[in-house]
Formats: sequence, structure tokens, C-alpha cells
Amino acid sequence: MAARQVVVVVAAIKRTGWARFLTVNKPKKPRIASNQSLQALTLAALALPGLMLNPACAEEDEVEFQYGHYQEGKRNLFTTINTKNPIEVDSLLGKAKFSLSDRVKFAFNYTQDTWSGATPISTAPRVANSNRPILADTPSGQTITVGASPYLNTQLLVNRNYIPLKQKPNGRIAGQDTQLVHILSMASPETRKQGDFNLAYEWDETALDLGGGISVENDYESRFGSLNGRWDFNQKLTRLNLGLSYTNSDTSAILDHDSSPYITKSEFLGQIEQSGAMKIMHGNRQDWSSSLGLTQILNKEALFSANIGYTRSTGYLENPYKAMSILFVDSEQGGNRLNGELKAFLEQRPNERNQLNLGGRFIQHIGLTNAALHVDYRFFHDDWGINAHTFEADWVQPIGRTWTITPRIRYYSQDAADFYQPYLLSKQAFAKTVYNEASGTFSSIPFDARLLPQNFSSDQRLSAYGALSGGVTVNKQFSKAIGLEAGFEYYSHAGALKMGGGGEGSYSDFDYFMANASLKVNLAAMASPAFAEQGHHAHHAEAHHHGNPAPAGVMFGHLLNQAHAFMVGYRFMYGRQSGDMLHGSQLATDRQIVNGGCGSGVQACRLTPTYMDMSMHMLDIMYAPTDWLNVMVMPQFMDMAMNLRQLAGAPPVQPGEHVHTGTGHATGGVGDTGLYALIKLLDQPVHHVHLGLGLSAPTGDVDIPLRRNHQQDEGFIHYGMQLGSGTWDFKPSLTYIGQSEAWSWGAQLSGTHRMEDKNQSGFTFGDIFQSTAWGGYGLTPWLSTTVRGVYTDQAAVSGRFNATSGVVNGVLLANVNPKAGPMDFPSSYGGRYWDVGFGLNARVPSGDLAGNSFGVEWLQPVSTDVNGYQLDREGALSATWQLMF
Amino acid sequence: MLKNALNTLLVIALTLVLSACASVAPWQRGVLAQPSMALALHPAQAIFKEHIYISREAASGGGAASGGGCGCY
Repeated sequence: MAARQVVVVVAAIKRTGWARFLTVNKPKKPRIASNQSLQALTLAALALPGLMLNPACAEEDEVEFQYGHYQEGKRNLFTTINTKNPIEVDSLLGKAKFSLSDRVKFAFNYTQDTWSGATPISTAPRVANSNRPILADTPSGQTITVGASPYLNTQLLVNRNYIPLKQKPNGRIAGQDTQLVHILSMASPETRKQGDFNLAYEWDETALDLGGGISVENDYESRFGSLNGRWDFNQKLTRLNLGLSYTNSDTSAILDHDSSPYITKSEFLGQIEQSGAMKIMHGNRQDWSSSLGLTQILNKEALFSANIGYTRSTGYLENPYKAMSILFVDSEQGGNRLNGELKAFLEQRPNERNQLNLGGRFIQHIGLTNAALHVDYRFFHDDWGINAHTFEADWVQPIGRTWTITPRIRYYSQDAADFYQPYLLSKQAFAKTVYNEASGTFSSIPFDARLLPQNFSSDQRLSAYGALSGGVTVNKQFSKAIGLEAGFEYYSHAGALKMGGGGEGSYSDFDYFMANASLKVNLAAMASPAFAEQGHHAHHAEAHHHGNPAPAGVMFGHLLNQAHAFMVGYRFMYGRQSGDMLHGSQLATDRQIVNGGCGSGVQACRLTPTYMDMSMHMLDIMYAPTDWLNVMVMPQFMDMAMNLRQLAGAPPVQPGEHVHTGTGHATGGVGDTGLYALIKLLDQPVHHVHLGLGLSAPTGDVDIPLRRNHQQDEGFIHYGMQLGSGTWDFKPSLTYIGQSEAWSWGAQLSGTHRMEDKNQSGFTFGDIFQSTAWGGYGLTPWLSTTVRGVYTDQAAVSGRFNATSGVVNGVLLANVNPKAGPMDFPSSYGGRYWDVGFGLNARVPSGDLAGNSFGVEWLQPVSTDVNGYQLDREGALSATWQLMF
Repeated sequence: MLKNALNTLLVIALTLVLSACASVAPWQRGVLAQPSMALALHPAQAIFKEHIYISREAASGGGAASGGGCGCY
């Protein structure tokens, strides 16, 4: 056992860089501190920042990319089938952490989430029949159910005890019914983007962290900052953390134009702005948070951490999309059956919330299997009446030298907020008609708001429930530098799981899963002595660089020409179209678009885009099995946003048309995945040629629908807003690169050929041909500039969206795909484009980050000749990061 | 409820801290330095999961500003 222990310690010591310390001082028998040299060495070891708690690997410079997916299960609607897709979230995270100096560390995170799907907006008695089936008459005269639509304001009967009564179709009472149900509404895709940073300065025993960031989504913007201090003492057996943070968030939520007219908003009139046809809820909230933490090493194999945190939130704390159903029953009615009126109100929460967090974590090493057990408990209390408990346990099991498997279990339980109710009962009429005998007129007296509680919410996050979840995370370390991680967790939310019972009814139960996969690159591993000794890295870094790299916007511009070389890269592309509409290369007037943009003369256009933004994040993983062949995998993550406007001179709106403007559309998620091989054809000191053969796999969605609006199903969102091509595409390329001293030049021909006639949605994007040529000059050995010209030709979309049947004003139509503007027509895609690109490339020549290279390029449109009617282009930005091993 | 939990936690914390008198010399901290013993096991995954938990549960995170976002879905 003792021998084993020594082995483990030595292995860990090698990792943590204590080797020097140990070679001088063999730990055969630690002597007492009177030994001066030992004392000096101990002090020196203690002086290493982060020695105690942060394993060295966490301190090292690293870059990590992660994709996460959240998928909720369907909810039970009782009265009708639930055809709506539940909420799902696609999430992308990029993390970079590196040392600016021995004592200064910098970290940057970028997060992007896109979510969409059906979620509860309120809760009502089942008898209110609030999720109404969408019924439609088929051409053959049948009536079928094709979906469910939320009805927020309905009528129902209650007995003298105000218990809802169930009615048979013939109107007879079939008894009491206390069953509740969520009212579901669809949320169209929305994307949130967040950037944040952390700057740390480390002294020998203390450290100070300064953090900040911003999170932006269509309806919500947060800015936040934090300051954290850390102090190690007691020979670094004890660590104290002190933190303070501040978040300021603005809501500007466009209230859903389908449900908003049915929601009473009287309490918020001062916060709602009317902008055209839209109602926008404005609010501001501020959160101050402070925390104090203590971490204590208990013995050689265990440590404990405890913390206490206090958060104070003030301002607009509501969720602008949640409504409370209030059942108004005039108690002055006679008889045993009373008429009740169910009305939806925007939820009202207190403007202040004080929250207390207490937490403890215990970590024990299990020598038998070299595992680690993490046990975590947190208690939460706030002045809204919520107490919550969270228990977590993780078993971290290393297997072999490179695998780690971590099963995990989590249990969460919370009480309901004081003002939480599934729905409210108010014993008064919503509006009462009274006859004034004196004037002989009828007048309507509205409800008395003073009889309603000041605060109310039916948001299920504030209800009483428990949640049990479990999952597993698997880590695989491929080399010192590259690690992969995959995680999965299944989560079940249920009233019955609440600790001590008394949870919400089973109608509110739901489940979800979270899955994530990440790639971690340890930048410091490259600069480590091990790499240098092998001469591996130094050799490669020279070998790959024939000189100046190709411009950032050129894909496949670079070949690894050393067997077993490896490269990880990240590529970001952003393109924007806005401004004028073009027809061919000429300016198109609104009148021309109305008359010609939607199929010549067949139908008049009503809408036209005002802008379209596309962002693409790509991971670029490249490996050279031999010195003449490279294989590449490129997963992509896309997000797009566009807005529309009404065309001047458009004919009035007809039923069944895609009419909404102003709110914009967004889509986002996983795009197509590229698989490529690069083959070296010529490799001379000055001239290099390589061939690229690739496939693009259709992993991006091409069937994203528009949300049902104004009682109308709307079919697929525009072709250009779909996330992929939907077809297997062949992508060949031929690249020439020349280099002489500080000058470099190159040219590339590339193409995209769709290998299928149509995708699952019925269309294909046009084939693409591109040619480009560039010249570059090295300003310094590490910085170069490029100028290039690009010509691109893309054919129009062929085929069209499969007909999507849908219900418009109660009638089932065979095809409800939008036909309101040129963006809905295949002929208005593709074109011929000339661009000029200006680029900068930089490579870190030495130090810990040696070998990292960066590139940026702006493509400026010079000439645009579009098919059909399309927005003009503003330009495109490419940015890349690459690291070779 | 709150008082009980607070007391329990305090007792546990004190017991653990006080029992930690045994000094652990730097060269004895090899096990503690293993990645499996890190306080934050999967930092990137935690960012993703915390945002989901916050969007679905009333008890918000540990206190420090980990990021914004309404989570209003």
C-alpha cells in the first residue's frame, strides 16, 4: 500500500511541477522543520501560486469548445393531443484561459444558446379546456385534430364551494373536476450570446480576480461584474474566498401578439410601450451578490469546502411571458352552479428578493480504486418563502491512464413561493353590468383590483416540487494536449418528489435530458519540456509554415506535411446583408418587388427583408496520418437573424398570408458537418499544390417551421434561414501556394456540388463555384498581411419546400408555406459575386503560447449580381485560431 | 426549518474544520492535486448545466455572477 501511495504521489508531483522540489529533497522521512534546507524548500513550495487546491492542469493555459443540448419531454395536456415540440436548447461554449505573465491570468468565455419550443404560459382547471384542439375540415368533409392552441380566457361552471364542475357535451353536469393543466404556448427560436472575462492577479498567498461580461438576447440584456479575493494561510491548508458581484439587466420583451390581447396588463401600463402593432414590456432589475467561502485540507486524502452567499435582487423580477389565470366568480349569483370567468393576468412578483445560500462540499480520495468521491449539499432560503435543498454526489473514477468516468446523482427539492398558486379564485365578477335607473342606462363595472392579491404567479419554477437527476461524464485524454469529454444527465421534475410531500400535482411533472461534448486543448502541454525534448513541437511548428499563412477566409489553405501532426482550429464567420434590395445587379424598387418578386405576375409580394445576419462557428480538427494526406472534421454551429418590412404599395393582407413584421426571425443550432481529405500533389521549396476532397454531411436542420400566428399555421421558415443544406454535398478544392522570402501568394478553386436531387424538405441549394487568388507580405516574422480577390457563383435553389398542410382560421389548407416575399421563393437565391479581401495573420513566435496563430479577414463586396430579388451584401468577416502539435 | 438546517450545517462545518488539525505537508499533497480531487470537476459542463438549472429551479446559483440571461423559457 505504501509503495502504491508513493507511485501515486510521484505521478501527481510530476504533473504539478514539484519535481524539482522533490529531486533535491527525497521524501523518505520528512524531518521536522528545524532542518533549514527543508524549511526553505517548503517555503518555496508554498510560494507556488495555487499549490494547494487547484491541480496544476486547471491552472495551465487551455482552450475548450463545448456543444450542449437540452431537450424537454412533452407535457400532459389531458384534453387534447400535444403535438407541440417541447423546449429544446442548443448551446455552444468557447473557453480560453492563458497566462499573461507568471502572476497574471486571463480567461475569456463565449456562450451562445438558441432555444425554441412549447412551454407553459399559465395553468388552469382542466374543465376550462384552455388547450383547445385545432380542428380542421379536410376536403373530404372530415373534421380532424391537428394541434392545440392556447385559450387564456374561457368560461366554466363551479359549485357553491367554487370547485370547477365538469360538463358533458349535452351540457349536463358530470361532477366535480379539480384536475389542473398547463396552458402551453410556442416560443419561436431565440438566440442569446454572452461574452465574459476574468483577469486574475496572483501573489504568493493571495489572489484577486476581476470579472465582467455582457449577455444579449432579443428581449433581455445583462451586464455583470465581479470582484473576488482569495487568501491561503495556515501553510496553505486553508483558503478563504470573498466575492462580490453585481448584475444589471434590462427586459424589453415583445409581448406575444397572439396571446397578449387576452392578457390583462393593467398593473404594468406604465412599463408597456406601444410600438406599431407591438407591445413591448420594459423593466430593469439589479442583483447584488456576496459570498464567503472556506476550503480546508483535512488530511492527505480529503478536503472540505463551505460557503455562504447572499443575493439581493430588486426591480422587475417577473417573467414577462408568464400569466396568471384568475377565476372570477360573482358570489352574488343564485343557485348551486355559478358561472365563472377565467381571465389571464400578467404575473406580479414582489420587486425585491433576498436570497441566502449555504453550501458544503466534501471530497474524499478512495485509495482502493484511486477514485474521488464528491458530496455536495446546498441550502437555499429566500424571503419569497422558498426553501430549497440540493444534494449532489459524484464518483470520479480514473480508468487506466487516460480515461475518467464520473457517474453523478443529484436531488433537488423546493417549497413554493408564498404567492404561487396554480390559478387564483376571486369572488367577484370580472365585469358586471348594472342598470342605472336614474339615467336609464346600462354601465359596466370592472373588477376591484384591491380584492386581488398584490403578488401572484403560476410559474412552475416557483411551485413546490422535487427533482431527481442522474448521469455520467466520460473524459478521455488523447495526449497531454488533447482531451475529450462527453456528458449526459436525465432529469425528472415531479411534485411527488418534493421532500416531505405536499408538492404540486402530477399535471406539472416533466422531464428532460442534457447532453454535452467538449474538446479541450492544453496549450501549456506544447511548451512543456517533454515536447521540447522530443523536438516534436519545434520541428512541426517550422515544418508547417512555409511562411505566411493563407488569408483567414480561405478554407483548406494549409496542409500539415509531417506524419502524425495534429491541428486544432476554430473559425468564425459573420456575414451581413442589408440596405437596398437588388434585382440582378440593379436597385429594385418596392413596386418592382411587389409586382415581380413573388413569381412573375402570379402573386404580389407584401414583405421584403430589411437585414439578414449569419454567424457560423466552426471547429477545425485536422490530422496527418502520413506526410501526404490530411484528414479533417469540421463541425459547425450556426445562428441567423432577419427582419422583414411591409413593401410600399403592397396589396392589403389576405387571410392565410405570412403577415408579421418588425419582430424578426431567428434560428440557430448545429449546422452541417464537413469531412475532408487533403492530398499533397506538389511540394517544392517555392511551390506547393494540394487537392481537397470532402463531404458535407447534412447534420443541420432544414425543416424549421415558422410559429403559428394569428390563428394561422405558417409552414417552413425561409430557405436561407434553415441551418444546413439537407443534402450530402461534395466539396472539392485545388489549392496552390507560393512563397519566396517575405512574399507569398496563392490561388484556389473550390466547389460545392449537391449530390441529391432534393433534401427531406423538398429542395436543394444551388451548386457553388468559387475561385480566389491572393498575395501576402510578411511585415515581421510573426505578422503578415494579405489582399485577395474572390469570385463566387451560386445557382438558385431548385425544387421547393414540400407542401405543409396547416390550419388557417379553422380551415385545413394543403399548403401554408409562406409566399409573402422574395425570400420565400427559390428563384431569389444565389448569384454572382466579386469581393476583395483584406487580411492580417499573426503567429506567436515564442513563449508559452508559441505556435498559436490567428487570422482575420474582411471581405468587401465589389460587385453583386443576384438571382431574383435579394438584399445587397454589406460584407463578411472571418477570424481563425489554429494550433499545431 | 431554516434554523435547524443552519445549526446542522454549522456543527458539521466546525467539526470538520476542528478535526483538521493534522498538518499535511506540501509533499503529502500529491493525491489532493489530482484532477479528480479538484473543487470544480467539469467547469465547462457546469456552465451549461447551471444555466439550465437556473432556468428551471427557483434556487439560484452560489452567488457569484456567472452570467446573465433571462432563462425565460
